[in-house]
Amino acid sequence: MIFMPKKLEPFPFLSFCKEPNASKRQGGKREMQFLTPPSRKRRAEAEAEAGTSAGTSGAAASPVSDRRIVLYEQREAVPFQVPRASFGPSDQLMCTYHCRQMVKSEFFVALDTAEKENAEYKARLAALNEQLYKIEEEREKYRDEASFLQQELAASKARENSLQERFLKEVDNSEERYRDQLRRISELEFEIKKEMDSRVAAEQFTETLKETVRELQTKLESLSDSSDREINSLRRELSYVQDESKFSSSKVTAELERTTLRAESAEEEAELLNEQLIGLKEQLDECLTQKGEIEHNHSSSNISPSNGSSDDDKKMIKLLQEELHNYEKEVQEARKLKSSQLNSELLKEKLLEEQSRRERAELELSKLHELQVKAQKLELELTSWKSLLNDIPDIGSYSDIPKKFAELQKEALENMAKLGEITAQLKEIKVAMEYADLSKQRAETECMLAKEKVESSSLEVKRLQLMLASVTEERDRLRKDSSASNKDAGPSDDSRVEELEAALNDKEQMMKEMESSLQEHREMIAHQHAELKLFNDRLTDESKKVKSLERESDRLRHEVALLESKLGHGDYSSSNTKVLRMVNTLAVENEAKQTIEALQAELKRTTERLQAVEELKGQFDAALPEKLIQLKNQIAVLEKREERYKAVFAEKISVFRKACCSLFGYKIVMDDQKRPNGIPVTRFTLQSIYAQSDDEKLEFEYESGSMNIVMNDYTSQTDIAHQIEIFIRKMNSIPAFTANLTVECFNRRTLC
Amino acid sequence: MASRTVSKDIITLRGSAAIVSEFFGYAANSILYNRGIYPEESFSKVKKYGLTLLLTQDDGVKSFISGLTSQLSEWLEAGKLQRVVLVIMSKATSEVLERWNFNIETDAEVVEKGVIKEKSDKEIMREIQAIMRQIASCITYLPCLDEACVFDVLAYTDKDTTVPMAWVESDAKLINNPQMVKLHSFDTKIHKVDTIVSYKNDEWEDEE
Repeated sequence: MIFMPKKLEPFPFLSFCKEPNASKRQGGKREMQFLTPPSRKRRAEAEAEAGTSAGTSGAAASPVSDRRIVLYEQREAVPFQVPRASFGPSDQLMCTYHCRQMVKSEFFVALDTAEKENAEYKARLAALNEQLYKIEEEREKYRDEASFLQQELAASKARENSLQERFLKEVDNSEERYRDQLRRISELEFEIKKEMDSRVAAEQFTETLKETVRELQTKLESLSDSSDREINSLRRELSYVQDESKFSSSKVTAELERTTLRAESAEEEAELLNEQLIGLKEQLDECLTQKGEIEHNHSSSNISPSNGSSDDDKKMIKLLQEELHNYEKEVQEARKLKSSQLNSELLKEKLLEEQSRRERAELELSKLHELQVKAQKLELELTSWKSLLNDIPDIGSYSDIPKKFAELQKEALENMAKLGEITAQLKEIKVAMEYADLSKQRAETECMLAKEKVESSSLEVKRLQLMLASVTEERDRLRKDSSASNKDAGPSDDSRVEELEAALNDKEQMMKEMESSLQEHREMIAHQHAELKLFNDRLTDESKKVKSLERESDRLRHEVALLESKLGHGDYSSSNTKVLRMVNTLAVENEAKQTIEALQAELKRTTERLQAVEELKGQFDAALPEKLIQLKNQIAVLEKREERYKAVFAEKISVFRKACCSLFGYKIVMDDQKRPNGIPVTRFTLQSIYAQSDDEKLEFEYESGSMNIVMNDYTSQTDIAHQIEIFIRKMNSIPAFTANLTVECFNRRTLC
Repeated sequence: MASRTVSKDIITLRGSAAIVSEFFGYAANSILYNRGIYPEESFSKVKKYGLTLLLTQDDGVKSFISGLTSQLSEWLEAGKLQRVVLVIMSKATSEVLERWNFNIETDAEVVEKGVIKEKSDKEIMREIQAIMRQIASCITYLPCLDEACVFDVLAYTDKDTTVPMAWVESDAKLINNPQMVKLHSFDTKIHKVDTIVSYKNDEWEDEE
């Protein structure tokens, strides 16, 4: 029997070359080697092994028994490559038993190596599966992280939206406040303009008022001059009137004395006359009775003796008639005295009126003095107020000063209120600013965190991409390996590969989606950065505003400090404030108690007096009217007597004065005065009848028995002073002085 | 960290007026004691505002201060009171030596509309306590009152306020060129009370 060698199928393996480092061949290239193809048996065994091997990649091909020399090219060690199973029978290959054994051994070796490689591939596959599992886990992790990032992004978006809304609100609020402040500023400016206008108007008004004040001052001066002149004239008139009144009073008193003396004398005479009258009447009655008797006797006797008695009677009658006539004259004189008395009473009344006029004039003089003092004070106040006006520019007139004070205090109070409001707003703005800063810091930190997360996620994405790239490269290699050993692999490997490819594709899509989301997030972050920049700009503006407001607040604080100092000092506006004090009830109560006790004691006394009076009244009720009438009559009689005495005395004293004047050559006027220390002094004013002017008067003071000369303008003349020195000082003789003066005046008069 | 919830109490105009007038009564007593206007033995201790304060036992001064606080409460309820000043004067010369000025700002809305405000009573008491402590510590910087002194109380009211029976119009009893020290203030949300003490410059300090 002759056995013909069969054609050997080409080996599906590449590992016949007995490379020691087959496990390290992944990714490496093999050198081309020429090997004898394995026998068919080997190929069949390899195919069987490939069929038995489950889920593995490298299905070992049956050893080729057709003994064809086949070129084995190098292949890359790809674990998922399926060995080719496209061995066909080769009728052309020839083999001997020895060759078969060799081939078998080689086949076994190749099988071992293939198995090893298979194991390696399996290990690699397991490792790859593990890696895939890890990658899937990591993918899930990344998915979770991505979802977490998305949630965080959504949360940060929401926070940013809320922050934006807050910022917008704060910006709106700050804008509104800014607008309000602008409005207030415009209002204040308007008010300032108004005040400036009012100030200008007030200045103009002050100028007009100054002019009026000047005019009033000139008028005042003129009025004061005229008033001074009038005062002087009034004083002169008053002095004249006083002198005249003194003269008249002295005259009246003299006349009064005269009339009283006359009245007394007339009364005495009247009494005497009455007595005489009574006596005469008695005599007359006696005479008449005698006459009757005589007539009776005569009728009975002769006529001749009746002539003698009728002559006597006639003489008596004449005497009586003369006496009657005298009495009538005296009665007429008494009537004249009465009329003079009435005149003296009229003169007294006139004197009283003139005295009252004098008193009024003195009062008015005193009032004038007071008015002058007041005018001086007012002038001083005017000058001080004028100086104040000059110092204070905003005041128009004097009456505007309290109004201005009130306005200033009102403005101060309003400024304080505004200051309070502004401080409150400042505080609110500060709080808002702090809150905005805090939120900004938070947003920045969140943005930083988000950035970091985004960067980390981008880094992870890059890493994943790199891993993906590496995985795709390995896949490609494995694909290539699988395509090279495609025949050995079964349909399950293809499905597995397809599944893996689908998973990879899904992962790639996920990565793309993540990248797109990352880009969106980056855009959002850029947008937020831009908004943050805007907010920063706004914050800087707000900070500038805050600084300006702080400056205003400092200024207002300074004003507040000034106002507080005024408050502490106790200043207030009298137009809308009044100061009340509680009366010290302790002292008041004591005083009230004391007054009450005193009043009660007085009440008791008055009640006792009333009771006594009533008792007395009860006793004297019956006799009162008669007593009253008697007393009134007595009073009337005494008053009449007093008047008569006064009239008589005035008459007598005037006579005496006239006598003295005519005898000694001086008109003497007596005047009682009181010195400031209360000592009464009698002043005598002497005017010579030979005096050439009214100013030539001598004045003497009589005090407690001593007569002293008072120096005046007349006596201070050299001649008079010389005489006074000689006669009064040296010789102590006033009569000699007056006599000498009289002689000199007489000589002057007669010579002139 | 749990957030603190601050409890707030409702404050009416009448309640605020009572708080302020009561404060003035205690402040006046504290000033009279610390400045030595009345002898120390005439004062007794009481607990108020978390402090030990001294109240006078003199019947006259007691009745004076009680009448004063009742009138101040009336004016505060009417919103007429602007300021209360306690004046310390020399008994011999009637010269004003010190002025304790309590300035009062009233919320007009509360007086007109009867609005109710909220603030914690504890917070108000704390603020009053600070003022009382400052009054007690005033002896460290106020000049010594070596001579016998008397006190008087002035009330700055609105111009249209009717003058009660026990009150008369007075001058402001000012001090020339005073030194001033501002103390703490307290606020009931209806009445805000600021305290300033002004005193006559001590001649010895001027020489220094």
